Amino acid sequence: MASEGMHSPVEQFEIKRFIEFSAGGYDISFTNSSLFMLLAMVVGGTFLTVAMSKREMVPGRLQGAAEMMYEFVADMVRSNVGNDGRAYFPFVFTLFVFLLFGNMLGLIPYSYTFTSQIIVTFAMAAFVFVGVTIVGLVKHGLHFFSFFVPQGAPKVLIPFLIVIEVISYFVRPVSLSVRLFANMLAGHTMLKVFAGLAVMISGAGGIAMTGSLLPLAALIGLTGLEVLVAALQAYVFTILTCMYLNDALHLH
Amino acid sequence: MKTLNRAAVCTALLVAGTGACNAAFAAGDSAAGLPQLKIETWPSQLFWLAVIFGLGYVFMSRVVTPRIGTVLEERRSRLDDDLARAREASAEAATTRAEYEASLEEARAQAAEFARKASAEALANAEAAEARAAKRMATKVGKAEDKLAEDRAEAESNLASVASEAAIAAAAQIAGVKATAAQADKAVKASAAALARQEAS
Repeated sequence: MASEGMHSPVEQFEIKRFIEFSAGGYDISFTNSSLFMLLAMVVGGTFLTVAMSKREMVPGRLQGAAEMMYEFVADMVRSNVGNDGRAYFPFVFTLFVFLLFGNMLGLIPYSYTFTSQIIVTFAMAAFVFVGVTIVGLVKHGLHFFSFFVPQGAPKVLIPFLIVIEVISYFVRPVSLSVRLFANMLAGHTMLKVFAGLAVMISGAGGIAMTGSLLPLAALIGLTGLEVLVAALQAYVFTILTCMYLNDALHLH
Repeated sequence: MKTLNRAAVCTALLVAGTGACNAAFAAGDSAAGLPQLKIETWPSQLFWLAVIFGLGYVFMSRVVTPRIGTVLEERRSRLDDDLARAREASAEAATTRAEYEASLEEARAQAAEFARKASAEALANAEAAEARAAKRMATKVGKAEDKLAEDRAEAESNLASVASEAAIAAAAQIAGVKATAAQADKAVKASAAALARQEAS
């Protein structure tokens, strides 16, 4: 019993290779992380396609949910970026669907949460950061750098403020990726710790087993909280992407 | 910023905490530290992320968003149509109502005019009838008064001749005087006048 008694709460984040590939000396195997990226996209895409298959004028529940998702992201883009954000709507929508379904599927027991991988969240944040910077440079040319000069600040302070603005600009991909990663890591670790505790106490047998009800109750509450966090973090990542895009398009 | 700080603190705590957990629980486990920090797993994740997100983006932008967009657009235009039609119908109803009210008002005015005319006519008729009746009454009353005056004059003259005859007879019997009719008349008139004066006083 002691050897199986308690797994490390971070063991759930371990990458397992399902189909092995390698290219150019790099291991690009299809892993549990890849599987759940694929599932998030396939489940999300299937849901949206099936829900809209009837194209009803008066939507049913499923179609209503799909439309609500679309309208939610469309409103987000409209209110945060404005009308010239339309071109980026499919990207923002894909991002939101991918993150939402990834986070939600990750909450199912025995599944995998790819958003708890810093490399995945950082890659997405870096893509957004680089993409948004390119959009800004293409739209405004060198004038884009005026973004780093705060308007109406006293002249003496301007050099310092530029340094601060530049740093805060380059911290964006870090904060964006770490926020999602850390929330997922913390949440899933906590769930595992409480679940492990419940299992461990119930292993004691006899009347002492009832003590496992306490961590079990906590686990139920935490699961509800994690559902909220999963949706909220998908939303936060998406809305910050919109705000960065707005900065690049309109320079404040 | 607050969330970021919280997230940063959480991460730091968790990295430290999970390290301790690993040390405590995973004795003999070859993997130490967070699995996320194993660099050898990164190329695979980056590769599959790029492939899956790329394909997903193509699918979402070509199939999903246009489909939902058209449905929403169709519904919106249909709603706008219906709204426009409803607005038209409502305007029409308002016109009809205004027309109806105008005709009602006209009818009411006509009725009032009619009633006013009728009552004026009735009043005139009544006045005419009253005037005619009054006239008729007046003629009747005049005739009756004439007759009365005639009768009275006749009675008075009769009374005077009876009185003078009675005076002649009285004078012959009392004083043995033969009075003429003229004298008797004069005496009767004088005594009637004296009587009238006496009564008046």
